Amino acid sequence: MKRLQKNRIEQLSTYLLANKLNPELLPEILDHLACEAEERLWDGKSFEQAFNGIVETADTQTLLNLSVDHKHLLAMGKSLDDIVFEGRNKLYGAYALRKGYGQTMQRSVLLGVTLFLGMVLLPNLYARLVPEAKPEDIAYVVEFTDAEIRPDVKPVPPPVKEEPRPVEKTIRSVIPTVVPDENVDVEYTPPLTEELETAKAGQETQDGLVDVDIITAPSAGNIPGNSIAAEVLPEKVKEYIAVDQKPEYAGGNAAMGAFLQKHLRYPSEAIKANIQGRVFLEFTVGADGKIENVKSVKGIGFGCDEEAIRVVKLMPEWKPGKQAGVPVRVRFTLPIMFQMN
Amino acid sequence: MENNATSNEYVRGTLKTIVLNLLAEHDRMYGYEITQEVKERTGGAIALTFGALYPVLHKLEQEGMLLTESVEVDGRLRKYYSLTTPGNEAARNKTNDLERFIDAVRLLLAPRLAAE
Repeated sequence: MKRLQKNRIEQLSTYLLANKLNPELLPEILDHLACEAEERLWDGKSFEQAFNGIVETADTQTLLNLSVDHKHLLAMGKSLDDIVFEGRNKLYGAYALRKGYGQTMQRSVLLGVTLFLGMVLLPNLYARLVPEAKPEDIAYVVEFTDAEIRPDVKPVPPPVKEEPRPVEKTIRSVIPTVVPDENVDVEYTPPLTEELETAKAGQETQDGLVDVDIITAPSAGNIPGNSIAAEVLPEKVKEYIAVDQKPEYAGGNAAMGAFLQKHLRYPSEAIKANIQGRVFLEFTVGADGKIENVKSVKGIGFGCDEEAIRVVKLMPEWKPGKQAGVPVRVRFTLPIMFQMN
Repeated sequence: MENNATSNEYVRGTLKTIVLNLLAEHDRMYGYEITQEVKERTGGAIALTFGALYPVLHKLEQEGMLLTESVEVDGRLRKYYSLTTPGNEAARNKTNDLERFIDAVRLLLAPRLAAE
């Protein structure tokens, strides 16, 4: 077997390249033609003869056809994108986008259709799954029991223990009167001055405590006509809840009602929200009748509480409450009704 | 040469089957070997040109019928072809098909020959 020399092979190679054979095909065709040439050399021909014979079979047209066939074959496996992007930068991103376009479209169409159908069918589906309540259906039963309403029981102040008055020691000292002789009480002698130092003069002689300094309220008859009753100062600090005489709006409850009617404005928020009810206000009526410390204890909100507080603060002075005849500070609770007409 | 040209017309349709069948008989072959094998076994009646052979080989390769391996021989790269499993199956089917076709053609041609 004769072997082709390297330069001969190169000669073949240059011939094939000159005929623009696809480089991918080159090694295979080169090998084929080399084998053919070797065969011819084996038959006793010179290389030139063999080369000419090969050029005759592998003419330009045949080689071109081969290249074109190969190109077509490759193109069959390629998509349009591969052809468009041949020799261009595929990493840039557009290639990947175009290649995935079909899949993306498919997915988006499926998703879109699913969502749309879901949106259209959801109400229907919901209505099917959740049956509509019929008017005769009873959802649940609420049992009403009688509500027990009790008035607030105000703590009764513990009764003041009346201590028995200590008995004074008295010595019988009767104002001497002029009587007829036969009526004179002989046994009686007027008390001695020493005796009267530790005891008081009385109708009877009585044993009692010696050193107690008791001041008895002067009886009405005993007060001298021109004496001025000492003004009793009102107690300031202590705040009463229950007193003998409750504080009162000057003019009575009816006047207070009129005052409230005149000044109360129904708050607009409450009107919007359709709110009505009672606002319980607590405030102190001072000993001088002034109203202080107004606050709402239990309100209904929506501006009603603030409105009630505002109006109560506007009130003129009250008649103060009295404890044992002395004006005192009293904590007072006033419900104010908000009611729409 | 004229005889070759006529036979090429029929070869074109059966070339794929011929190549698959030859590869089924051998472990692996390269292009020139196939042409030589065909030439020898048919006594030169069928001559495969490389211009017809290689496109068929490449097509079969792309279809997954053939595997290739390149081996360096005498300073040149030689590309060997061998059948894959689907290629083997295809070789059997195609050979059967071709045989049935040849039988059918023979039946068609027989009466005319008899008449002559």
